[in-house]
Amino acid sequence: MNPRKDLLTISSLSDEDIHTILDSASAMKDIFTKSVKKVPALKGKSVLTLFYEPSTRTRSSFEVAAHRLSADVTTFTVSTSSVVKGESVHDTIDTLMSMKMDYIIVRHKNSGIPAVIARHCKAAVINAGDGAHAHPSQAFLDAFTIREKYGTVAGKRVVIIGDILHSRVARSTSVILQRLGAKVAYMGPGPLVPPEKHTGIPRFTNWESVFEWKPDVIYLLRVQNERIDTPFFPAQDYHQAFGVTGERLRRIDDLDLAIMHPGPVNRGVELCDDALEYRNSLICNQVENGIAARMSILYHLTPQTPVHE
Amino acid sequence: MNNLYITNATDPAGRQVDCRMGRSTGDVTFAPAGSISAPAGARIIDGTGKLLLPAFFDLHAHIEQPGRSKRESVTRAGQAALNGGVWGMLVMPSPGFMFDNYATLDSFRDAVSQRALAEMYAAGCISVGMNGEQQAPYNTMAARGVSVLTDAGAMPSSTLMLYRAMKYVAELGLTLAVRGDVPELTRNTCMHPGTTSYMLGLHGTPPCAEEIGIETVLRLARDAGAKVHIQTVSTAESVRIIRRAKAAGQAVTAEVALHHLLYTHECLGDYDTNFKTLPPLREEQDCAALIEGIKDGTIDCIVSDHTPCTPFSKKQDFISAPAGMVALDTFLPAIYTYLVKPGKLTWPEVVRACSENPCRIADPREPEYDAPMQAPLMLFDPRETYTVSEEHLSCGTLNTPLLGTELCGRVTLPLQ
Repeated sequence: MNPRKDLLTISSLSDEDIHTILDSASAMKDIFTKSVKKVPALKGKSVLTLFYEPSTRTRSSFEVAAHRLSADVTTFTVSTSSVVKGESVHDTIDTLMSMKMDYIIVRHKNSGIPAVIARHCKAAVINAGDGAHAHPSQAFLDAFTIREKYGTVAGKRVVIIGDILHSRVARSTSVILQRLGAKVAYMGPGPLVPPEKHTGIPRFTNWESVFEWKPDVIYLLRVQNERIDTPFFPAQDYHQAFGVTGERLRRIDDLDLAIMHPGPVNRGVELCDDALEYRNSLICNQVENGIAARMSILYHLTPQTPVHE
Repeated sequence: MNNLYITNATDPAGRQVDCRMGRSTGDVTFAPAGSISAPAGARIIDGTGKLLLPAFFDLHAHIEQPGRSKRESVTRAGQAALNGGVWGMLVMPSPGFMFDNYATLDSFRDAVSQRALAEMYAAGCISVGMNGEQQAPYNTMAARGVSVLTDAGAMPSSTLMLYRAMKYVAELGLTLAVRGDVPELTRNTCMHPGTTSYMLGLHGTPPCAEEIGIETVLRLARDAGAKVHIQTVSTAESVRIIRRAKAAGQAVTAEVALHHLLYTHECLGDYDTNFKTLPPLREEQDCAALIEGIKDGTIDCIVSDHTPCTPFSKKQDFISAPAGMVALDTFLPAIYTYLVKPGKLTWPEVVRACSENPCRIADPREPEYDAPMQAPLMLFDPRETYTVSEEHLSCGTLNTPLLGTELCGRVTLPLQ
């Protein structure tokens, strides 16, 4: 893999980059079974998590990943910083760069912010989710989870269900799966699924057509109420129309399909309670693999911060 | 000052002409090249290979520069206009130039008379502070020469306020300039919906919002008997709506911003904030329909929608960055390079859309006792080329995608 400073989107990566990061993720996961779950790969390097949006899972996943690579991790808490006093992203980054950070892991509600930061600083910037644009580390962990389950991603059929319009997960995961040879389809409420002519991805409107398409994986997106200022669809309908109900779960079980979800799950909305106990649910594998994938990402990026031996 | 004599220039229709301009009298005489002689003492300009065109009037310019004084903004915009072949412009109200009272209009007029190299007229506000709620003092403004009212390209939030404003100004003979929009449909959006907006994760501005807005304005104006001017039309359907209204005899004029003829939403690429405009850049078929609209007279004017933005503001992410690009400095060279040279528009069409029609719409004078606004002449040499750099942008900010590109043509304005 050629030296690369930032990870902002999946589309910016070559096929070789994608395979390299996935292969190393397997090696990273082997570390988890050792008594000392730590390697010195990033010893002495400083990693900053800069989350302008609330996040528990992604942030701790990155922090655990950095710790397991022996990096020093600093958490920049936005709610207590001068950002709430109106400081611009540029000025925040100038301040942080004076602290000589090597890696900055950023999440922001506006699409495109990580690219602005990456242009502006020498640290390696990892996009941990920007608006409805991209979430590349989620894409890696999803691809890794499917590859682990089936041995390959090529030829698998994955249907992503829910709020595609606001979803950076859908945008990044669909790209990596297609690059690895999988077929992807979308399903969800009309106002929340962009037309096929814009996405290039087949669009279904109901479960019946989803089952007819013969998917291997049912990938449910979280209904992100925090992103939706005015209602897009009748909320009471969602579970019945688009969620995994008990009846649909039985059908999924009969067909031996896998279920994935980026978390956190809205119980009774995307999934009925039983679906969380489903034998073929990969949701917990996704969380575990998230750490391995993020270790691999950190390991493969090359900050341009000056080094004086 | 000497009289001017221009020899062997090309007029918009392609004829070779000589032109005699009396400095003191303001008389301009055209004749076939070689048929008249230079008066004694006249300064002679060789027009060989150059076009002799009426200078342009820009019906839509924002000139306020954040962080700069009004006077500075006026000076820079004036120089930028002359560079781009624009001798006069209609200045949109803005926070620093809030044309909703006589004092601001007077101080603007003072700044212009002392500092501006180009003619500048103020467009009055439709509503006080452009808040969309309370009508501005139209009579007071009309008495100070205001002929066009606009909330700077915004659709007033109150339809009732707009309707009553229309009924009021219909009797004053003023024109209401409005951009079609349904604010509720365009809130939190920043680009045209399509493959690019999907890939960039940006929310799309539905074209129907503009189209519904235009239909509403036209319907209200028809009822109120008001003259309306539709600002910065951006979609093919909007062109069709205006074409139908004109065919039905309604008193409506319309403009298109130059950038909507040159660029599409795909130009945004990787969040290039220089391509963030309001309304957003649309599709290839919209550009084609807008050009067709200029050719058949549905769209009366091409405007610059010149909007200076500070470098920092455009360095932000796409959602936070302000919309708009600067366009005055490069106006005529860009029109020539991208529209006339490739054969999309002819010189007579350009002159109609950039000089004759906007002069007519903006003319602040009463035709009964004053001559209509007359554009001065300029020379344009299409053979010269230049690469747009900081030194070519007198406007003082660099927010144009033309920076670094090669344009054809050099403007001589004023002729002296």
